[in-house]
Amino acid sequence: MAQKKRSTRSTGRRSGTKKPVNKRRGFFRRLLPYVFLLGCAAAVVLAGYMVYLDSAVRAQFEGMRWTLPAKVYASPLELYAGLGLSRSDISARLDRQGYRASSSLARAGSYHSSSNQLDIHTRAFTFWDGKQAAREIRLKFNGSGVSSLSTLDDKGDSALMRLDPLMIGSIYPKQGEDRILVKLGEVPPMLPAGLITVEDREFMTHWGVSLKSIARAAWANLRAGGVVQGGSTITQQLVKNFYLDNRQTLVRKGKEALMAILLDAHYSKPEILEAYLNEVYLGQDGSRAIHGFGLASYFYFQKPLEELQPQEIALLVAMVKGPSYYNPRRHPERAKRRRDLVLDMFHAAGFLEDDGWRQAQKAGLGVSARSVRSTSQYPAFIDLVRRQLLGPYKDNDLTEEGLRIFTTLDPAVQAATEKRVAKGLDKVEAGRGIKRNSLQSAAVVTSVEGGRVLALVGGRDAGFAGFNRALDARRPIGSLIKPVVYLTALAQPSKYNVITPVDDSALAVKLANGDTWRPQNYSKRTHGNAVPLHYALSHSYNLATARLALDVGIPNVIDTLKKLGYTGDPLSVPSLALGAVDMAPMQVAQIYNTLAAGGYYTPLLAIRDVTTRQGEPLSRYPLKIQRAIDEAPVYLTNWILQRVARFGTGASMYNTLDSSLNVAGKTGTSDELRDSWFAGFSANRLAVVWVGRDDNQPAQLTGATGALQLWAGIMDDIEPRGLLNVPPEDVIEIPLRMRFDPARGADGSSRRDCRGTAQVPFVRDQVPDGLSDCDSDIMRENRYRRRQAPEQRKEDDRNWLQKLFG
Amino acid sequence: MQRLLALIVVLVLAGCATTQRTSFPPPEGPAPPETPRPERPERPQPPEPSKPSEPSEPEEMPPRSAQQASSPAVLSLLNTADTLARNGNMDRAASVLERALSIEPRNPFIYQRLASVKLAEGKNDQAEAMARKSNSVAGDNPFVRADNWQLIAEARRSGGDRGGASEATGRARNYRTSSQQWMQ
Repeated sequence: MAQKKRSTRSTGRRSGTKKPVNKRRGFFRRLLPYVFLLGCAAAVVLAGYMVYLDSAVRAQFEGMRWTLPAKVYASPLELYAGLGLSRSDISARLDRQGYRASSSLARAGSYHSSSNQLDIHTRAFTFWDGKQAAREIRLKFNGSGVSSLSTLDDKGDSALMRLDPLMIGSIYPKQGEDRILVKLGEVPPMLPAGLITVEDREFMTHWGVSLKSIARAAWANLRAGGVVQGGSTITQQLVKNFYLDNRQTLVRKGKEALMAILLDAHYSKPEILEAYLNEVYLGQDGSRAIHGFGLASYFYFQKPLEELQPQEIALLVAMVKGPSYYNPRRHPERAKRRRDLVLDMFHAAGFLEDDGWRQAQKAGLGVSARSVRSTSQYPAFIDLVRRQLLGPYKDNDLTEEGLRIFTTLDPAVQAATEKRVAKGLDKVEAGRGIKRNSLQSAAVVTSVEGGRVLALVGGRDAGFAGFNRALDARRPIGSLIKPVVYLTALAQPSKYNVITPVDDSALAVKLANGDTWRPQNYSKRTHGNAVPLHYALSHSYNLATARLALDVGIPNVIDTLKKLGYTGDPLSVPSLALGAVDMAPMQVAQIYNTLAAGGYYTPLLAIRDVTTRQGEPLSRYPLKIQRAIDEAPVYLTNWILQRVARFGTGASMYNTLDSSLNVAGKTGTSDELRDSWFAGFSANRLAVVWVGRDDNQPAQLTGATGALQLWAGIMDDIEPRGLLNVPPEDVIEIPLRMRFDPARGADGSSRRDCRGTAQVPFVRDQVPDGLSDCDSDIMRENRYRRRQAPEQRKEDDRNWLQKLFG
Repeated sequence: MQRLLALIVVLVLAGCATTQRTSFPPPEGPAPPETPRPERPERPQPPEPSKPSEPSEPEEMPPRSAQQASSPAVLSLLNTADTLARNGNMDRAASVLERALSIEPRNPFIYQRLASVKLAEGKNDQAEAMARKSNSVAGDNPFVRADNWQLIAEARRSGGDRGGASEATGRARNYRTSSQQWMQ
């Protein structure tokens, strides 16, 4: 709609057509009184109409209140000594935010990079906790990242500095205008000067309409034999944008002229010009109309208006004539020709010196890359932000008040996640002979501690604002539920520890409805009745897990699930033990985040703070934590999940990841290979990835062959720090040889040395009797002991110990 | 009124902790105001990023104060937060501490300060949760744990849980005793 509005603007004015002169003078004379009367009546009507128009013009202009969509910002980059980012990482971030590489740091928004250091002149920015002035700083680098931060200006030392945050989008109505307000006094002087030069030379002197420019336009159009030039003044253009729709009739033209004259009579030229700067239409982004130079500057150059170079100002001024015709992303050559023409006009008018003019002519368009059809760069994440805001805020608070919303998104993590999802799917499809572009995916990345959502990908094409699979695709989670079953068991340390033998023999359960449930292992094989508990989880045995879940009780498993942060109400059926519950990736992330944070639940948040347009704090989303589950069983569970990664179903991650990195995770596969999941975490990053098909047909992928491949790529790219394995207060670790082999059972060699042992965690005071340093995995004895009545145990223990050591 | 009371509790607690330690090599004491300190020598090479929860060698004393365990960036935020808290701006102090956490997510001293801020705000449950979280990332650090259990005791006491409070005080005492081994 709005596109049309502007593109028809330049069709120019039509002059009235002349009527043949009436030769019947007598008749005319007789008519004269009537004509006079009619004229009087018309004048009265016109006067009345003028009064009406006048009040309309004044009411609108004085109550001038544009609806201002909320602005959404990514998490700002904190710069400090010890930050693990390289010089090129930080320069890339600066480039993305429109910082200009420059030899001098004279202006904010510029940087200078040399061998081992980076000098930055940061932008001033009003954060949620106050204003930070523009600063000149120097970062030095060593092999591991930033080694020092010093200041180059005289405003005092600082141990850390925030970069202004990347603006990642707006929350605007479905068919809406978006803008950022600017003040005339704060824009580069070349912009208003250039606008007047190009659009309306007589602006400062005419009174709303300019007969001269109408005549000039008419003459130009006549000579060209068509409409090549519009005669509208800036005031008329503003009136049209402001008050009228885009129908181009003679009556409207008249009304437009009248209103322009009225506007000019009431308001000063600077007021009109400022309104124009904020109102003019400059492009379209999906259903979002880009209004005003303030937003256009971000939309095309990803930086504030104050920092634009002459050629960039010229491009925006050039586009006023037809933002879609001269769209620099779609028609770069056409746009450049007009920009150069505008630069020539700037030069001829005398406010662009020879040197600057030549330099500007040579410069490319410099427009930032951006997916043309998307409404924002991160539609899935913005969707999450919007949903989290829609409790306390009403729809029009978000679309009209110009709120500033500070989010947790980390642009680098988001970019890596998007890339790895897209490339990973291509690779999985190619590698496994799956039809191209048939798979879909979603991914969530969090910070673990603090529960901040760092990245969210809602589909294969992350820039496409469609079905948000990360939040809305609810699929069976398969084996992702297993850690919850084992955690429930390990929370009873007197009954279960990580080496407790569990039964992986065939199972048939009579259900309430009369059916019989007969789960099977993925391999269709059974593994005997004495599989160490950790082994059954790390190899994702279904039978052992189902039996364990029935032992601890399905309602208890559900209880654990809820403590971890699941808000649904799953059916209490045996098949829940194997993941017969549908969840969206975001819900899985919430559950695993509680595990990753050591049993402390933090609601996953995408928003940190909301302020008014002026920076007054409105709402803060403070860190809230809750001790959901005892730390000890969580520690034991996470220890097993690290074995999943090292030795179990997740081991292929180390084809991608550095082998020194300790991570924990779990694969998940649903029936008939429909859904492929992986959820896993390091100390500082948690990622959940789902791969499947939108039509819910089998994807022909297990968790390991599908989602894990994408997950490993993501984790590798987002600066993971390895898990540290510091046992909590009531956990002790004992070195044991882990030598279970399902083919041979618990026996194995009788070596009793300390080689090849692992630190195995136990809840203090619940260590099975008879374990000693460097002992082997005492499966048989342990199994034997479980069968004994407690009273008998003491005696047997002695016998058994005597047998071993006596 | 209750807030004021809680604040006094925190200040007293802070005072306690400080006097308890006066026999040790002088701790950095109450945090200095936020203003930059020109007298601090500029360190071209910052200390290694702290890993407070990494199991320390038995001979090595665990960090007793945030000053020993935090990077300059985090320390400057802690100073800011302390100033804000002293002026009663608890919410803003918490906000600054959260910023510090995003830089060092496993620094137990940050969680500990958050716990005292929550206590001052009368949010006893959050205070206890933060203190326990601090414990969970503190590894084997009896200094941090003793202070955390003291905070938990205060939180329970203001929540009306006398039994729980005295249990927590007992734990704090135990950790204080076990911290004596570093003081020989």
